[in-house]
Amino acid sequence: MVQYSYFPGCNLKTNAKGFEETAKAVSKILEAELIEMPNWNCCGTVHTMTSDNMMRRIAPVRVLSRSKKHIETLPEGTLNQVVTLCSMCNSTLKIVNREVRMDPDKLEKINYQLEADDEIYEKDMEVKHFLEIIRDEISYEKLSKSVTNPLEGLKISPYYGCMLLHPDEAAIDDVEMPSVLENLVESLGAVVIDSPLFKFCCGSYHIVDEDSIVDTQVEKIVEAARSRGANALVVACPLCAYNIDHQQKIMKDKTQTKDPLPVFYFTQLMALALGVPMKTNHFEDHHINPKPLLKELGLSGGKKSK
Amino acid sequence: MSFEYLKFGKEEKDFIAKIEEISGQNVYSCYQCGKCSAGCAFSNNMDITVNQLIHLIQVGQKDKVLEANTHWVCASCLTCSVRCPREIDVAALMEAVREYQLREEPEKIKISQIPKEAYDKLPNIALVSNFRKKTG
Amino acid sequence: MSKTKTKTEKKNDNPMVKIYIMGSAHEVPASLTIMKAMEYAGFKITRGAGCRAGFCGACATVYRKAGDFRIYAALACQTQVEDGMVLTQLPFVPAPKGKYDVSKLSPTANTVLKYYPEVARCLSCNACSKVCPQEIHVMDYIQYSLQGQIDKAAEESFDCVQCGLCTIRCPAEIPQYHVATLVRRLHGKYNMTSPETLEARVEEIESGFYDEGLKKLMEASKDELRQKYYHERDFIDQKKA
Repeated sequence: MVQYSYFPGCNLKTNAKGFEETAKAVSKILEAELIEMPNWNCCGTVHTMTSDNMMRRIAPVRVLSRSKKHIETLPEGTLNQVVTLCSMCNSTLKIVNREVRMDPDKLEKINYQLEADDEIYEKDMEVKHFLEIIRDEISYEKLSKSVTNPLEGLKISPYYGCMLLHPDEAAIDDVEMPSVLENLVESLGAVVIDSPLFKFCCGSYHIVDEDSIVDTQVEKIVEAARSRGANALVVACPLCAYNIDHQQKIMKDKTQTKDPLPVFYFTQLMALALGVPMKTNHFEDHHINPKPLLKELGLSGGKKSK
Repeated sequence: MSFEYLKFGKEEKDFIAKIEEISGQNVYSCYQCGKCSAGCAFSNNMDITVNQLIHLIQVGQKDKVLEANTHWVCASCLTCSVRCPREIDVAALMEAVREYQLREEPEKIKISQIPKEAYDKLPNIALVSNFRKKTG
Repeated sequence: MSKTKTKTEKKNDNPMVKIYIMGSAHEVPASLTIMKAMEYAGFKITRGAGCRAGFCGACATVYRKAGDFRIYAALACQTQVEDGMVLTQLPFVPAPKGKYDVSKLSPTANTVLKYYPEVARCLSCNACSKVCPQEIHVMDYIQYSLQGQIDKAAEESFDCVQCGLCTIRCPAEIPQYHVATLVRRLHGKYNMTSPETLEARVEEIESGFYDEGLKKLMEASKDELRQKYYHERDFIDQKKA
């Protein structure tokens, strides 16, 4: 059993707790256990693109430094890697890691702040998204072999969102033609529906004060998937999940639009396929309830008797 | 044909220099191919497109740049930056214009005016990212 | 044999240091706390002094030391003066406090953000923890509150005396100690269970279980009491209980 230092990110204990709990459960089954690092802080979600604001880079560097300390306490943790589930954390941590490695001045300034807490960063950590771990360390083969309930009947459109693939240094796959989510979905026995809007930005933080922008985006994204035959979407980012899920409900209530598509986190799909108990998914936190669809397809949990 | 004469003096040069300093990008690299605007998911909501804004920065027209809503509609998805053939970090230029304004007026979003009921649903990730981009 | 003490001996009896209180220099005994030193120098403290025991948080003081660029902060009643100290007090730190009815809330991150949305601006710079006179990990409890880990936030912020030093240093302008109060109230009301033994005892009392014994005590004579207190120690008939 390999152990990884896992960085949750601010949302994974609140409305994305289904994401976290299913990830932890499937990581155990696949013998690549995610162990939460103690005492972590929010990475900032978005990275600052200014050249001169060091304050906004302190949070991600602190995460890297604390993760290093955590790994030293893990009995089976060997690699200097911190694993994230949230795409935005993945992007921010990777970018800042690269920035401080390329510019020793920046790192020095940030380390001045971390010195007093005995947490200086020594440029020795790598950042990985759980999808990379599945593809590179666990392998899709092993995943397929561990499937007990193949997700037959689910026609899933992978939605990458922006931060899994942007910028170049943080991308976990080819920026314009990725395949990581497609391969995952196929390994679980479901059908992949390709959509041209797989990384068409959902509107991100505009949901707070300009949600009309998000409405336009979500409508396009969902329609592109639905018109090609998808009956669900899969995502890797809690903000995308919230935007697409919640705004579909708002639009459905307002305009009586067609059947909304439920949104799954990729670890929830894995959990369903690997026979993890249904309640781990926390579907009650979803705004568009996926349970009716799952029931219809006979995927409502428990091991199938063969 | 109609002409508009633009002033290009110290003020304009200072503005360009400041944007370049904050973003770390060379604004003159842009040759206005328009690929950024073509790929931008939010072009429909912008009053002037991304490449038009960059052109205004190139000629130092600070007032026109700051009046536009382009950089506020931008959601930092970075699609423009990964596609720019001149390898300009276009999103960084947008961020620099936002920062330029926020360093004067640090509250684009008035936090006190967000209705309390909104907090019942909004996930903390949305608030953290919004406040990082829209407050100073 | 000289009977007079030498001058050098007299000096060591009561060493003095020079401190600057809001810019004006004063010679004060080195053994005094900042608060006592201010009063020695003639200041009458009308705001910024309370329990004088490090518990009320009224005497937040900010100071610098000679030749040192750092800003230090402490509680005046608990900190000894040093030579070259330049200080001022912060008897009041303005911080917005949310108006809420704890019985109508739920112990989640959204509740904290509803009343204190600034918490989402935390940069994890740790300026707050560095300035805390109680050595609390302030940034950590703010982060726990943002993450929805209300129980951990309540535990971490337990020693807070609400001096306000964290609030005034915070670049994100968060009122940390008010956030801590909300979090502890939520934790106490919703997460912590009532101690069963206490509830059982209160029920016993209300059911009149101890009434007879108390009545007997109140009516006993001094001799009877002396007998019970020093010899018997038996106020209730244990067999009946």
